[in-house]
Amino acid sequence: MPTTSPPARYTRVAQWLHWIIAALIVVQLALAWVADDLPNGARKLHVLGRHKSFGMTVLMLTIVRLLWRLRHTPPELPAGMKPIERQLARTTHRLFYVLLLAQPLTGWLMSSAKNYSVSWFGLFTWPDLIAPNKAAFEILKTTHDLMGNALFAVIVVHVLAAFKHHLIDNDDVLTRMLPFARSERR
Amino acid sequence: MNGRSAATIAILVLAATVGTSHADSAAAGYTLDSAASRLDFIGVQEGAEFKGTFHRFTAAVDFAPEALASSRFDVQIELNSLDSKDSDRDQTMRGPDIFDVAHFPTAHYVTRSFAKTVTGYSAVGSLTLHGVTKDVPIDFQFTSAAGGAKLEGTARLKRLEFGVGQGDWKSTDEVADTVKVEFSLSLKPRP
Repeated sequence: MPTTSPPARYTRVAQWLHWIIAALIVVQLALAWVADDLPNGARKLHVLGRHKSFGMTVLMLTIVRLLWRLRHTPPELPAGMKPIERQLARTTHRLFYVLLLAQPLTGWLMSSAKNYSVSWFGLFTWPDLIAPNKAAFEILKTTHDLMGNALFAVIVVHVLAAFKHHLIDNDDVLTRMLPFARSERR
Repeated sequence: MNGRSAATIAILVLAATVGTSHADSAAAGYTLDSAASRLDFIGVQEGAEFKGTFHRFTAAVDFAPEALASSRFDVQIELNSLDSKDSDRDQTMRGPDIFDVAHFPTAHYVTRSFAKTVTGYSAVGSLTLHGVTKDVPIDFQFTSAAGGAKLEGTARLKRLEFGVGQGDWKSTDEVADTVKVEFSLSLKPRP
């Protein structure tokens, strides 16, 4: 148990990890939607190549973020929140961690299953996790697509909640995650 | 008979002897044991290697380490038999923008010369692929075994020299120009 009281703001590292991963996820969703509309060919291959490189970056950053989170107590939720709101906030945050790990991993697995190894921006190639397998690829692709939609839904809930806290509840839930903001309010 | 004629005869006899010994060390003829042989290709797409194989190819091999001059490989590859363990990619590769198997169903490789190297042997031959014929060198090891021989080696070729890759596939941003070929052939003595 930590002996010190929880901090008022997230640490600098936690803030930057949050926003870098957030930006990467926006790029990832955009690349996925572009790739879905492209016919099989060189362009699709190129878009998916970038998607895979960014995805592996998200995986690595999420592992760093989880390790950081385990060693650094985050600020507490505002005192005035209802139990159902607290539950929703915790579930959303847990789902993010699950999806931020599961999405890159299923993507990596489906690349292996289709015999398209994952490169990291052409600098090195990640090892294949499973042998080529068409049936496994189809299952993994469906899972990856569904979880992508789930991730999008969780992002919508998360963003709406952040604005609700900032604009309606007038608390510091949003500002304490902003690297350049001061949280004067409570 | 003067001295000069004697010398001429001696040279002729010597030449005949050399000729005979050359004929004695003719390369041994082999056929392919298809089931135990592999011919793989390794390309690079988006920075990552992918490996595929040709299921159907034939090879007539005449080879002996002491008879490189009379050695010869003749390999015919049925391009339609390619398999990269992804039917989407296979279909694309068979299509008009890559191998165009409808117009160029086979690739043909015939060696022209052989040389001994530090680790094994090298050969230069001409590869006819996609209607284009170019020299492609290969490096290989030859191991005699009971009831045949093993021939293992590699080659590198530039796909765009053969026009393999049209349209978007001409760019090397997605698929690298250099393609590696690996072969492991099981050979049986030709009857």
